[in-house]
Amino acid sequence: MIERMSRGMSRGVVLAGASALVLAVSACGDSATAPGGESEVISRVTLTLTPSAGGAALSSFIDDSDGNGPTAPGAQVGALALARGVTYTGTVKFENRLVTPAEDITAEVQKEANEHRVFYTVTNAGVTITTTDVDGQNRPLGVRFSKVVTPTASGLGTVRVLLCHYGNVAKVGTATSCTGDTDISLTFNFTIAP
Amino acid sequence: MLSSLLPRIRRLTARSLLAVALAPIGAVLAAQTTPHGTERHIHGIVEDDATGRPLANATITVQAAPRSRQTTPLMFSTRSDDKGRFDFRDLPAEVVRLRVRVLGFTPHEERVDLIDADRLITVHLTVATTVLQEVAVRADTLAERLGRVAATSTLDAAALSATRGQTLGETIKNLPGVAVIQFGPSIAKPVIRGLNSQRVLVMNAGLRQEDQQWGTEHAPNIDSFEASSVTVVRGAATVLYGADALGGVVRVDHAPVPDSGGTHGDIALNTFSNSRQGALSMSAQGADLVLPGLGTTGYRVRVTSRVAGNGGAPDYYLSNTGFRELNGSVALGVTRSWGTADVLLSRFGTELGVLKQAHVGNADDLQRAMTTPPTDSSFTYGIDRPSQQVSHTTLRTRFTFAAPKASELELVYGLQYNHRREFDNHGPLRFRNEAAFNLKLFSNSLDLRWTHARWRGLKGTIGTSGLAQGNQTLGKAFLIPGYDLWQGAVYAQEDLALGRLSLNAGLRGDAISQTTIAFADQGIRSAAGTRTWRDFSGSFGAAYLLADGLDIALRVARAWRPPTVNERYAQGVHHGTAQYELGNAALNAERSQGVEATLRYTRPSFNLEAATYRNTIAGFMYLQPGEPVQTIRGAFPGFRYSQTDARLRGVELSGNWSPHMRVQLRLNGSAVRGLDRVNGGPLFDMPADRVSLTTRVQGRRPSVGAWFVGAGTQMVRQQDGVPEGTVYTLPTAGYALMQLEAGSTGARVLGQRLDVSLSVNNALDTRFRDYLSRYRLFVNDAGRDVVFRVTMPF
Repeated sequence: MIERMSRGMSRGVVLAGASALVLAVSACGDSATAPGGESEVISRVTLTLTPSAGGAALSSFIDDSDGNGPTAPGAQVGALALARGVTYTGTVKFENRLVTPAEDITAEVQKEANEHRVFYTVTNAGVTITTTDVDGQNRPLGVRFSKVVTPTASGLGTVRVLLCHYGNVAKVGTATSCTGDTDISLTFNFTIAP
Repeated sequence: MLSSLLPRIRRLTARSLLAVALAPIGAVLAAQTTPHGTERHIHGIVEDDATGRPLANATITVQAAPRSRQTTPLMFSTRSDDKGRFDFRDLPAEVVRLRVRVLGFTPHEERVDLIDADRLITVHLTVATTVLQEVAVRADTLAERLGRVAATSTLDAAALSATRGQTLGETIKNLPGVAVIQFGPSIAKPVIRGLNSQRVLVMNAGLRQEDQQWGTEHAPNIDSFEASSVTVVRGAATVLYGADALGGVVRVDHAPVPDSGGTHGDIALNTFSNSRQGALSMSAQGADLVLPGLGTTGYRVRVTSRVAGNGGAPDYYLSNTGFRELNGSVALGVTRSWGTADVLLSRFGTELGVLKQAHVGNADDLQRAMTTPPTDSSFTYGIDRPSQQVSHTTLRTRFTFAAPKASELELVYGLQYNHRREFDNHGPLRFRNEAAFNLKLFSNSLDLRWTHARWRGLKGTIGTSGLAQGNQTLGKAFLIPGYDLWQGAVYAQEDLALGRLSLNAGLRGDAISQTTIAFADQGIRSAAGTRTWRDFSGSFGAAYLLADGLDIALRVARAWRPPTVNERYAQGVHHGTAQYELGNAALNAERSQGVEATLRYTRPSFNLEAATYRNTIAGFMYLQPGEPVQTIRGAFPGFRYSQTDARLRGVELSGNWSPHMRVQLRLNGSAVRGLDRVNGGPLFDMPADRVSLTTRVQGRRPSVGAWFVGAGTQMVRQQDGVPEGTVYTLPTAGYALMQLEAGSTGARVLGQRLDVSLSVNNALDTRFRDYLSRYRLFVNDAGRDVVFRVTMPF
């Protein structure tokens, strides 16, 4: 009889302990969705071209309302109407405008220059882009560049801006295309005024 | 000294004689004896050697040798329980004669020295063919096998010891109908009859393993050293295990906490040359712990560590594929006249690297990674980005209450906490140590099962089961939203023995409610919502003994599962494939109807099992290739979760032949075809046809124990059924690998028992890429691997 009683009690105690655990766990298992840390979201890429000889700067940007999300980037805002025979000093700006205040990711890229490089691919034969800045090991970075439009250039063209991130592989200064992870790949249209 | 040595030698001789009569079906008898003061205990497990299934209702008698010529021998008798266990306590002798009789098997008799006995004695027996013709006698044996109306394969302790130190997936991948999706040496995901992840249920120590199993790169978080046996149930097994066991079940059983005997245990050490992996596992157990308020308590503790560096393909190392694993568990249990109670606390922790080439920014990067030959990375134990850190903590409390006539009530409460963090190289440096994906999954489960006594030929289990689950999404990037999940079920499964015919029927009803939590951050949005599904699953099977040693089983099963959270809400790039995967919150449950037939032929030196199945799944959820997804990072091939009607068909063959008492040949083969009935194309991730053949020469000598030398080959055909539109259309050629093995169990070195084996996987260092290897777009699979295993019981 005594044995049966103590058995019943121990069973009850263990069951109570188990249910207490259930409560404790369901309390801490509150299924909140709260993003932690900070991701490198870029929602706007801006190209700014300033004629070396002076004059009004050209500026154009592309927005992506959800950054890495599935919605496609929007249309290019601001035309890049280049003039023949002009050399431009160019800069690229990466921003996250999905947060307030907006973040300038360009500063991150410059700070981590050893891990980044911006590649430019131009489709018009009369236009060339050369990067003018370097990282800490004298390898090209590409946030600043010079854009040369030959006197005979004409027509339309595109420039693809590709931000390459060297996370897993070494950055090679002489590379002509990205061998790391692509963080940005956007194409801007331009026209060459006669 | 001499006198204590003599009985051992005599027993070994007797065993070697028995080994001569080695047969595919027999009984494995594991007897364990321990001196404990003046009381002597003996307990063990009776198992069917061919299947590893425990044999219930075996008659076990122990005869204590008379102390003098005048006294008559003392006899004790018992029957093994449902798990094949038996137990004798407080025997008034030092040497006993143990007799085991099981219907359908040759009786076994041996002398056991209780003072200085092996802790684990394995004996192979011949099958009693004459007994089998008696249907009445056979009925129980057949009912026992009816658990196998669903095609089942079991790896027992002996078979497991040959694969120890590897992942769970690697352990079972050579069973018929089983393959693995592999991410290098560290991640192996079981595939059963062509289905994987959320369609394959993994049961660990009696609990559904809840470890974000929907992800193909999320390997089961289980320490394979904990397993005393691993059973693979092929085909829908939802009735006893739960909705979502559409493809099958991998059941990892732990040995019961000892209920008698003093402290003993084992130390196992494995080394793997390929990744320079070392694995060390140590356990200690006993039943001599006396706790205040509880009395005599059985216990077991185990600690396992595995450390590996980069795996090696024949020509290069696979960059960043090492892992570090540290696991531990503590179990306490009491066995009383009313039943048993035990508590298990275990923790699994791993940190593993993911192949660097497999982590890409966009589709162009993928194309480049695929076409660039792998850079010759050097060997390192270091783990770099991308990587995963996963821990899994389990607390299980279980009570069994014994009722008359072998009926039993079982209550199991399980608590699981899974913490998965995945790291990559994205993001600003100052946040690089924040996990990209950080998921915390809490699962509470309560199961109540009643296994009732045989009543008018009917025997079975009735149960109810509940699960409350919460998921937190805390990382930098979005993978799946947080959610709450509630699930409740009732089920019953009954066996009916009718002479040559045995019937098995099961029915289960489930209700599942899923509530997702809204997510909104920097452009990524995921909606909140609650959905509830209710449905039933069931199975009906029949086994018929056609002739002596020949039986046929037929089974039909209906199963279903609701969409998982990732199928409904995934939103993001799947690294390694650069697929942009998009969930579909409107998905409905998928329903499968399966039919299968199994033919078994069993002879003393030959057995063959052939199974064929057809499984149609209405509303089969899969990733459908669609329009490319444009993001600011560039273009990605777009994949949306959709539903189609699928059909899977396949055959499995396994056989065993001993042309000579020392020679054993084994054959395993499986083929599966998955069809998308809507577009007529093949399904994704179907294993290629495979056949494995192994030969073993074996014997037994007192000095070296049960020795074996073997060679085998695994041949895999090219997978030509590849769906259009995935990056995985890259064909993989067929391949053949060769394995060699040699070893011994029960060798004695300086009075210490040792189990030693040496095996060579991919002995010819063959270059190959398996269709289910997820690194196959980038690199070859692992090359030659020399594996050394030693286990030392103490």
